Amino acid sequence: MKKIKSICIIDDDPITVFGIKKMLNSFDLADEIKTYVNGKEAIDEISQMLEQNIPVPEVIFLDINMPIMDGWQFLEKFLTLNIESKIRINIVTSSIDPFDRQQWEHFKSKTHHLIEFKNKPIRKNDILEITKAA
Amino acid sequence: MLNNQNTLVRNYNRMLRGTPTVTFDYLIRQLPTATAFINKKFEVEFVSDKWIKDFDFEKTQVIGQSIYALFEEISEEWELVLKKCLKGEKSDKGIHRHFDNDKNEHWFEWQNIPWYDEKENIIGVILQTEDITNRVTLELRAEKLATLLDTQSEVTDVGSWEYDVERNSLHWCDTTKKLHDVVSSYEPNIDTAINFYKEGYSRNTIAMAVDRAIQFKEPWEEKCQLITAKGREITVIAKGKPIFKEDKFIGLVGVFRDITPSIMSEEKTKQQERHFSTIFNSSYQFTGILDTQGTFLEINKTALKFSGLKSSDVVNKKFWDAYWWPIPDMVKDGLKEIIKAAAQGETMRSEIVVLDKDKNPIPVDFSLIPVYDENNQVVSLLAEGRMIKEMFEARKKLKISEQKFRALYELSPTSYILSDFETGEILDFNTAFEETTGYNKDHIGSLKVQDILVTVSKTQLLRIKKEIESNNAFGPEEQQYIRKDGTKFPVLVSGSLVGNKKGRKLLWSTAQDISESKLKEIQLKEEQTLLRTLIDNLPLNVFIKDLDSRKILVNKAELDYMGFKDQSEVLGKTDFDLYDKDVAEISRAEDVKVMKSGKPMLGVETINIKKDGTITTFLTSKIPLRGDKGNVKGLIGISLDISDLKRKEEELHDLINVTSHQNKKLINFAHIVSHNLRSHTANFSMLLDFLVSETDAEEKNRIIKMLMEASDNLLETLENLNEVVAISTKINLDKKSINLSEKINTVEQNLIAFLKNSNALVINDVDEDIEVKAVPSYVESILMNFITNGIKYKDPMRKPVIHLSAETKGDYTVLSIKDNGLGIDLEEHGDKLFGMYKTFHENPDARGIGLYITKNQIEAMNGKITVESKVGKGTIFKIYFNEKN
Repeated sequence: MKKIKSICIIDDDPITVFGIKKMLNSFDLADEIKTYVNGKEAIDEISQMLEQNIPVPEVIFLDINMPIMDGWQFLEKFLTLNIESKIRINIVTSSIDPFDRQQWEHFKSKTHHLIEFKNKPIRKNDILEITKAA
Repeated sequence: MLNNQNTLVRNYNRMLRGTPTVTFDYLIRQLPTATAFINKKFEVEFVSDKWIKDFDFEKTQVIGQSIYALFEEISEEWELVLKKCLKGEKSDKGIHRHFDNDKNEHWFEWQNIPWYDEKENIIGVILQTEDITNRVTLELRAEKLATLLDTQSEVTDVGSWEYDVERNSLHWCDTTKKLHDVVSSYEPNIDTAINFYKEGYSRNTIAMAVDRAIQFKEPWEEKCQLITAKGREITVIAKGKPIFKEDKFIGLVGVFRDITPSIMSEEKTKQQERHFSTIFNSSYQFTGILDTQGTFLEINKTALKFSGLKSSDVVNKKFWDAYWWPIPDMVKDGLKEIIKAAAQGETMRSEIVVLDKDKNPIPVDFSLIPVYDENNQVVSLLAEGRMIKEMFEARKKLKISEQKFRALYELSPTSYILSDFETGEILDFNTAFEETTGYNKDHIGSLKVQDILVTVSKTQLLRIKKEIESNNAFGPEEQQYIRKDGTKFPVLVSGSLVGNKKGRKLLWSTAQDISESKLKEIQLKEEQTLLRTLIDNLPLNVFIKDLDSRKILVNKAELDYMGFKDQSEVLGKTDFDLYDKDVAEISRAEDVKVMKSGKPMLGVETINIKKDGTITTFLTSKIPLRGDKGNVKGLIGISLDISDLKRKEEELHDLINVTSHQNKKLINFAHIVSHNLRSHTANFSMLLDFLVSETDAEEKNRIIKMLMEASDNLLETLENLNEVVAISTKINLDKKSINLSEKINTVEQNLIAFLKNSNALVINDVDEDIEVKAVPSYVESILMNFITNGIKYKDPMRKPVIHLSAETKGDYTVLSIKDNGLGIDLEEHGDKLFGMYKTFHENPDARGIGLYITKNQIEAMNGKITVESKVGKGTIFKIYFNEKN
């Protein structure tokens, strides 16, 4: 399996971030793991990377319920960015609201990126499956 | 002519030279001109036969005779002329009058010329004469005529004129000149004369007439217009004729008669004549005008038609010779007598019989009337015949119609009664009367009006009497009659007064049995009452409108709705008079549609607004109202007041809204609960997973610490959820009246330390009187939340100021809480602002629960909350306290 250069985790829950990071490290799947506590921080930095021609993360773990800018607002903005490569975005949430699944379907149909929907908790077995480059 | 003859004579002379005398003599005799050659002794040497004939010398030996002998006496003048001729001087032309043997007058034009021989020596005189008697007499005649015409014209206003071709002279008499408005010294010529004729028809006519006169010797008589020298237009009769002499046209004579004034009176006479003849001819009588001798002057068309004759068959014939007298020989003398008498001024009239064109005897009312002129002289007789045949026919017709009347009288279902007006005695009645009352003809003579009439009130009787006296008639009047058997029945009576020959006052009365119609009337009234009661007691508004949407009937319910007591207050009014203009317009449009299409409008929900603003919802039907011929003449409206139903429906609707809203909230809440609980349990699960397989002790410690954190978070979440559930599930809230201003002050006191630390200012502008119905603890929590929020999310560059104010809006008291903090981008976060666990600022204290709970508390008290915000300026929250329930 090819090692992924950059993965980013967007979640305001420190425990979830700790868990995902720990699992990724145990498999040594990525050279670099970045974390953001809300969508705004993440989108600001990714936009900056694009401007400076720094390669953007190939896999994104995205929480939905976050302060300031939630997962959906992030996605809305992210999809407008001019990124040619196919990015894997893993939505990781504890929500079972059908509205959130509808939103996922909606965004999935709109983009060339790969968007997955996963309910928490993420298990070790899952992490390998969802941390491949798209 | 004479000159030519002179030349001729001279030629003779030349010819004569050297010609034997016999031949010369012979030649001269044949000269066409009267010519005599006399020698110096005045003895005739040669002479033409014409000369002998002209001077009547056939029986006289002329040759060798001296002219002194021939003419008995010779005037000195002639002698002088002759002597001059012998000296070589030819004479002028002269005229000589001569009486022949029969004493006939002759006129000669003569000339004497010298007689030369071949050596040009004068040897005598040549006498030449021309008989101009004809010409002279003609001229004289014309002169005479002219004189005559002149004289005549003075009397009759006739002007004359003559034209002499030879002399090309036109002569007008004084009257003609006067007629042309020219002075008496005026000298006309043929061109100026013709120019007096009015250009166009008159001038052309005259020109043509003159032309024809010259060509065909035709005289003329034309009516023409002249334009006089003064420009006056006159109408003249222009007569004229050509004068010929021995086929030679020598002139024209003519007269003018001015008829201008007579034309006008002629017009008038003509018109009168027309009027007269119209009357005369269109009369239905035979009319003829006779002179006093009994000769027909005129007869009218009616008479001609009757007799089948033409006017010419009768006019100018004697009256008694007309064929229509049945036995002419017998009547002739009688008629002559009558005419004689009439001519002396007697008028005669009698019924006679005449024969029509088919020889049928026809009775005629004949009269002969003298006609007088202004001098009271009988000038003519007017004979008139009036056909009495028509009168006979009329009598026959009258009889038939009388029979018809009799039949009607007897067969009529109406009773006819003839009574004596004074006594009341009944003189006659018809079958209908017998049938309705039970009396019969045998009762006539003993029955009186009083017997059959139920005694009516005195005033009614008086009134009827008065009516009869002034109008000769009365009724129709409702009265009651008594039958023979004593029963009574209602009748409709009318009567009229007639007088008979003896001056007795009779009363013809008709009486119509109205028992049945009376009954019907009662039934109708009952039905009407029933219908009225029915529609008045219907729980529906019923109204009838005419084509202009004017109310012509309303029931009690409608009357009550409109707020009137009596129908008369409403009738004739339109919706515009009663209701709000907009709804009246809608209603009128509906009316027009129904009445135009003829299709009813059924069960339509309509809204009506009265002038006072009261709104009522109706379920309305409008049905076209049709007349006898099926034409729409209005509409019937039925409306049911469904305002209550409508209100209940709305309430129900509101209730459903509230319920579904609550339901939504519950589902939402359920999702929140599940999400929040799941996120914690997921963390537990994950951390425990790690812990089991973790070997590193330090890492293990970290995981356990996290597990404890997760546990704390879960506990807090549960507490929050508990709080929310507590608000949402409390149904009977203990609302109390709270003085808002005081409550603000209390909260401010509780927060005093926090406010001091933040260096914040709270301005309470709420009116001290304002009270709200609310749960005290909720109000405290709400105030606390907003004040602290306003300070927590303050703009670091500004001193935080919280401004509170309140106002009443309808059913709500609205509390405004305004801060000068960071503000929220409502475009981005508006929909999530009051959501659970939503935070919008990077503030570590933000839990995302405050606004969520506040909103729930407000809604639990049936209030609502709105927000206005501008990033960088601040936020205004408006809390609506429901004061109604």
